[in-house]
Amino acid sequence: MKKVRLLSLLSVTALVTTVLVTAPTIANAAPACDGKSPIQSCVGVTSDGAPYAMQVPANFNGTVALYSHGYRFNVDIPAGIPLIGGYKITNTPEPIPGGNMAVAQYFFSQGVAIVGSGFARQGWNPDSAIKTNVELIDTFKKQFPKTTKVVAWGSSLGGVITQGLAEKYPELISAAAPMCMADNITPQLTMAGDFLWGVKVLFDPTIKGGNYSAGAAGVGESYTDLVKVFTVMGKLQAALATGAWPDTSSATGKALAAAGVPSRSALLLLGLMAGLPTQSAHFDSISGPEGALKLTFPLALSPALAILENGTEAAALAIMATQDVENQVGGAIFDNTKTDYAARVDGERVIYNAALSGNTVIDALLGALSAANPGAPRAVANPAAVAKMNALHSNTGKINVPTVLMVGMADPITPAGASQRLVDLYAEQYAAEKAAAFKAYRTSGYAAPANKLLMLWNPSPDSYTKFNEAGSPITSTPAAQGTRHCNFTSAQLVLVAKSMVQASNTGKLPSGGALYTAVRKAGNLSVDKGIRAPWLKSYGDN
Amino acid sequence: MKAMNRRKLITASAVLAVVGLAATALPAQAAEVGVSSTQIKLGMTLPMTGTASLGYNKIPGAAKAYFDYLNANGGINGRKITLVVKDDRYVPTEAVSKTNELILKDKVMALLAPLGTANVKAVASSVNPARRGIPVLFINTGFSGFADTKKYPTTYTVLPSYVMEAKIMGEYIKENFAGKKIGLLYQDDDFGVDALAGFKAAGTTFAIKVPYASGSQGAAAAAGWITKFKAAEADVVILFGVSSATSAMLGVAAQLKYAPQWMLGSVGGDATTIKLTGVPAGVLYNAIGFSPVPATTDMNDEYVKFFSDIYAKALPGSAFDLNVLLGMNTAFMTAQALKAAGPNPTRKSLMAAIDSKGATFASSALVPAGYSKTSHVGLTGYWVGKYAPTGDLAPIGGTYVTYTTDSGSGPVVKSTYKRPPMPAKGLPN
Repeated sequence: MKKVRLLSLLSVTALVTTVLVTAPTIANAAPACDGKSPIQSCVGVTSDGAPYAMQVPANFNGTVALYSHGYRFNVDIPAGIPLIGGYKITNTPEPIPGGNMAVAQYFFSQGVAIVGSGFARQGWNPDSAIKTNVELIDTFKKQFPKTTKVVAWGSSLGGVITQGLAEKYPELISAAAPMCMADNITPQLTMAGDFLWGVKVLFDPTIKGGNYSAGAAGVGESYTDLVKVFTVMGKLQAALATGAWPDTSSATGKALAAAGVPSRSALLLLGLMAGLPTQSAHFDSISGPEGALKLTFPLALSPALAILENGTEAAALAIMATQDVENQVGGAIFDNTKTDYAARVDGERVIYNAALSGNTVIDALLGALSAANPGAPRAVANPAAVAKMNALHSNTGKINVPTVLMVGMADPITPAGASQRLVDLYAEQYAAEKAAAFKAYRTSGYAAPANKLLMLWNPSPDSYTKFNEAGSPITSTPAAQGTRHCNFTSAQLVLVAKSMVQASNTGKLPSGGALYTAVRKAGNLSVDKGIRAPWLKSYGDN
Repeated sequence: MKAMNRRKLITASAVLAVVGLAATALPAQAAEVGVSSTQIKLGMTLPMTGTASLGYNKIPGAAKAYFDYLNANGGINGRKITLVVKDDRYVPTEAVSKTNELILKDKVMALLAPLGTANVKAVASSVNPARRGIPVLFINTGFSGFADTKKYPTTYTVLPSYVMEAKIMGEYIKENFAGKKIGLLYQDDDFGVDALAGFKAAGTTFAIKVPYASGSQGAAAAAGWITKFKAAEADVVILFGVSSATSAMLGVAAQLKYAPQWMLGSVGGDATTIKLTGVPAGVLYNAIGFSPVPATTDMNDEYVKFFSDIYAKALPGSAFDLNVLLGMNTAFMTAQALKAAGPNPTRKSLMAAIDSKGATFASSALVPAGYSKTSHVGLTGYWVGKYAPTGDLAPIGGTYVTYTTDSGSGPVVKSTYKRPPMPAKGLPN
């Protein structure tokens, strides 16, 4: 197989969201508005220093959509670092996802205003971001007294912030839409940390992988880790067909190599342990080129290639987010001393048995990664730092207002399981509300509780890996729907926006035939209640 | 929703009750996904193309042959059976994709006879038929774990489990090859895990065990296997793998003139399939084999005669082999389950019918089925045979001696099971 240029194709746009509006400088002053028509633009800074932007149509009907952007690195990334180098920290406000004008136009056509801030700090920030949003809502209402309803939405970490706002301040908003929502901090960073730890102990033990030094020294260590991880991923990619191990492999890794374990099987197992999807931007784990590899490619190679694409993004997040959170809480936060990785892959080892090279190889890998092997030392967290991390904002999953969730089924950064968790918790909540309604029926009459949750799944196509005439996979095509992080079309975003606006107007989410028609028109979405995404692995069996 | 007071609620309930009563008096009508007034739609995924498809790709044609016969004779309460077949190439992720299509696009009532342990597991975890209440009938895998009704509440096995097969093999070895060196070739996944568990329960000790990773089987691999078996001086070599592994092994063994006493597992033991790969029939001669259904050449058996006649009319020129017989038998059992599910079958009533009556369904199998309200275990045993010079499996001594056991620690015993006679015209009563 020819060398696949995977790494050059990995996008970081999902992590570093597009910025829109020039930031103002004076904190806590009234917004500065340009008074233009048909769209009036206002900018300002909240009391915590978060710049914000508002855009209000001339036909403003009293509803405003508050958008929360996703994770932005909290440090600059030097230009020399592959893939994500050259990033400059920014708190430029983002009132609409990715500056998507089609979505903005939809809102304006309905008389809905848009607003969003760039938040006071980047990195993991729900605590401060929720406060910023509360203040921003108040500021908007004061500036535009006609305001009657606020709908809140956000992507990725912005989904956590949006859900948090709906949980803590339901009186402020009438509908919410967390999209490609991250899970709470511990399961989210555990997922990324599990993969990074595996890469370290098998492929390059000089990767630090956490427990970074405080301050600038730790930032420097994280830069070094980024380079090392990207380098080792490149080596794994180059040797994917042969199964050779990187020259930087640990003694444990070299022993596995000597025993005939292919490196691609090791890489796949790490991805499955962490819970990464086996479908990625360009690899569907189904298709194969015509000829001898027609069956072998999807059975033995494609799942590992998908983990290579997805894992590189996950590892980058693991390094930068771990460094950021450790800096916030004062010590190491990833701990896998009690993790049973064999249990983690129990359900998948038979499904990917061929790509994992059979039970003998799987057992050898799991033995090498077990806590009993001193050659694969487990990561130990700082209890005080973990306690501080646990005190950071966490969502309970309570649904207080009509809520729309949307997620790609193969999102490698914020797995669909994070949204599934809310679906499952809401099923329990709804059952309890229904039971309470029945109980109240004898005294006050029966009122069935209204459904407050709409789940929009964004599945990947049945098959989408393309091959050139030589039989090599093509990775220069756009990422498939349902893959990559927050990879939504304008039509899908507009559907979410419409659903929120409808719910804010009527108190009801779209349903029945109207919903199915809208979903079909938006394309590549499903509301099938039979779909079930696994929760993030650190929740255990569920 | 507006509040509804108690009086209105009672009135509404009464109206609904009347509507319900009226509905039961109406003739057959659509009441379940995949069931209309004129048809019942079932879906099947299995390898139709690719290296793993050999032999197994005859199963859909066999099932359709029986369903066509059934449809021509009135169907099930006037409804014709439609079988939608999708090719999964034996790739688990593709099985997931194709099963999703069957459920979401084709809107089938039930999934029928999906093939392969990994594929069925992948579908169970990713498509979640249990959560959707979709029956997964008569799966083409003998992995014992699928009989776990808590984990797979809508799945019904039909083949005897690999544990049962290994236990019966172990018992045969004990009685006939005591003191001989035994070698085992097995697939290095749950298929093999089951086999190893069965042999362990039977107390079989091996001179050598050779695992192969699924997908790695081929001529080059087979040469390596033979080297290992030769080095271990195995007198008896058990091939407990898929057809492509058995064929590769026997083909290379013929070239190398390596001829231990072969013992073939039922999954990879269909002679027609093996011969199609170019393995000479003579290589199979005197090999020991196992089957839960009669020999496919036994035209004195009423079921074999009946099914082979239908198949010959439906697909003239296509050989009637073990995969065909099992495929037709599965369709035959499915028809009985649908008939027993009532005039307007639902997914629930279909499963309830198998739970309550499945153990008494007519079937070509020579061993009993274990269906009940608490068990989704299918057939529970095998007869032992030897391959004739033509390559066909026939009972040793000319008489079927069947053995039955369980997937646990239960003993292997000779079965006294009396098979129900074929219903009139081979149609469900």
